[in-house]
Amino acid sequence: MIDLTTLRPGLEIPTISRPGDYQYWNRYAAVNYEFAGHHMDDAAAQHEGFEAAIGMGPFIHALLHVLLREWAGEDVARVIHVGLRSRRPWLRGRTLIQGGTVTAVREAAGERFVSLDVWGDDDTGERLFTGEAEIAFPAGSLPPP
Amino acid sequence: MAEQTLITPEMAEAVGRDYEWTTSYPIETSDIRRWAIAMYYPAPPPSLYWDEAHARSTRWGGIVAPEEFNPFAWMRAEPRGDMGFDTRRPWPELRLGARCPDFRANIFAGTATTYTATRMRPGDVITSVLSLVGYEEKPGRVGLMLFTTTENRWTNQDGERVRTARSVLIRYL
Repeated sequence: MIDLTTLRPGLEIPTISRPGDYQYWNRYAAVNYEFAGHHMDDAAAQHEGFEAAIGMGPFIHALLHVLLREWAGEDVARVIHVGLRSRRPWLRGRTLIQGGTVTAVREAAGERFVSLDVWGDDDTGERLFTGEAEIAFPAGSLPPP
Repeated sequence: MAEQTLITPEMAEAVGRDYEWTTSYPIETSDIRRWAIAMYYPAPPPSLYWDEAHARSTRWGGIVAPEEFNPFAWMRAEPRGDMGFDTRRPWPELRLGARCPDFRANIFAGTATTYTATRMRPGDVITSVLSLVGYEEKPGRVGLMLFTTTENRWTNQDGERVRTARSVLIRYL
């Protein structure tokens, strides 16, 4: 849950991580009906020019929502926008680490809007994607900006 | 010599057109619970997504789906029996009837999704309309790459917009 006293531009939110293995990817595949060969089989991914099987882009995008809710609290905050631009694939065997930094805080129409830059790296330090996000809290739930 | 391109005249003609209209089955609480388990694994999912008593005590007044939840997985109600796009060839042109090259790969390049304040809840029926926004070509390590942008607009059974997503797919020969 968010520390209400620290909500300001420059704040880095807590990171989340997920190992790049089939225990995680198959659970996502199972709920999203997403069974492309390059997510399930190293050889299929190598045919397309990758070193190994690659994690699903929509899963990476979905996990950004988890990153935001783990910080902000799903009972209170709502996600308004999540965007990402992929730079490199999430290879099997590599751990994905996601994080973000608050860039702006504003209040309008009874809600407090918080904008963030978000990112994802693997455990070798390679940047896999960059993006942006926005969440909103009921204005009364937080101290004034 | 003609400039190399992956965009056929039929593809260029199709830009701006809607090409897929689908309707979900009613969202089940078990769909939401399973989705949340997959998202939060190995941690247990938040109570908002499976405990009705807890969810009623929140600002949402009951169980809601995580924003990124997909109600179209595992068959759509309309078109009847539709299992969704072929993950080997998730190509707009196939539904637009536009001739296109036989691409070797389909790679997710990015997406941007904007949500309204209307949440997806158990019992909701979601309608999706997909449109082809446009094409862009860029040279890459694997040769000429085609970037295809699509837009997906979701509304619920009351006609309320739930979300709008723009996604970019990279393809190459």
